[in-house]
Amino acid sequence: MGCVTSTSITYQASAPLIKRPNTVAVGTIVWLGSEVMFFAGLFAIYFTLRSTSPDLWAFEADRLNFPFSLTNTIILVLSSFTCQFGVFAAERLQPYATGWKPTQWGMVEWFFLTYAMGAIFVAGQVWEYATLVSEGIAIDSNAYGSAFYLTTGFHGLHVTGGLLAFLFVIGRVFAVKNFGHREATSAIVVSYYWHFVDVVWIGLFLVIYVLK
Amino acid sequence: MRANVNLFWILTVFLLLVAGTYVMWSWADNAANGLDHPEWAGSVAITLTAVLSAFIAFYLGRVHKAQGAELPEDRLDANIDDGDAELGFFSPWSWWPIMLAGAAALMFLGLAIGFWISFIAVGLGVISLVGWVYEYYRGNFAR
Repeated sequence: MGCVTSTSITYQASAPLIKRPNTVAVGTIVWLGSEVMFFAGLFAIYFTLRSTSPDLWAFEADRLNFPFSLTNTIILVLSSFTCQFGVFAAERLQPYATGWKPTQWGMVEWFFLTYAMGAIFVAGQVWEYATLVSEGIAIDSNAYGSAFYLTTGFHGLHVTGGLLAFLFVIGRVFAVKNFGHREATSAIVVSYYWHFVDVVWIGLFLVIYVLK
Repeated sequence: MRANVNLFWILTVFLLLVAGTYVMWSWADNAANGLDHPEWAGSVAITLTAVLSAFIAFYLGRVHKAQGAELPEDRLDANIDDGDAELGFFSPWSWWPIMLAGAAALMFLGLAIGFWISFIAVGLGVISLVGWVYEYYRGNFAR
């Protein structure tokens, strides 16, 4: 035994079965944590400007179209649910529908529906921006305009990026011969992002349209 | 991983305490100057830092619960080869991130010196993203 160089410590008969955390999912969550801080900066800008010019806020915030924005918000929140049904389908490893009923839908159908609802939200925001600019609230008109367009605009860019991500994930499903765990993981992390963007919008909606 | 989870919960509690102190202190300070609100930028930033910590703590806690046992790297009696299970797929190398970075650089160049450059950058960016996302889904690597 003179030539043995390794120490014999407590060997187990077999290593315990571990379901390792998915590195893609953990990485996405940590990145979303940093996104929280990005939006924290935007919220801080909004609150600071509001506290320095309360009269401007009282005047400009009254000109927002609340029913329109509420409808748009409901569409975005519902899209989070359709997205989650797509994730359930992906976890069943079911890429395509097996019938017309929504209970038989696969990931692709749910994600296309989510994409459509997200696209309606972005289009609605573009229309809202155009209306507000025509009424004289632009990004360079005053502090309210800057705060409003910076917060909702960066959120809108995030939604647009999410729409692109949905297309990529759907494209991956079309590209593979067999839908596997890798494709399911892409679908799941895109849904994390989508839920995050949805929650940020609920925060923005409450602050900008409800609290005013 | 239990230690990671605990650390993030401790950070959450600490940041909440700091946020409470900051709100009250800055409010008292503002009140002395005749203002009836806390200092907003810091209050929002510190509170949302607590949310950030809680977010990661909660998620890691769920992951820890779901994995069924401790990871080899968390065990004193584990050997190196206990940790060599399949960790996932990692690309050995790729040109696409460099191209994407180039597109981003062009985008900001466009913002700085002439907006028309940004249109080219958006096209390049979309091409790089598509290339990157589908790199292992076509050609020799198609599955």
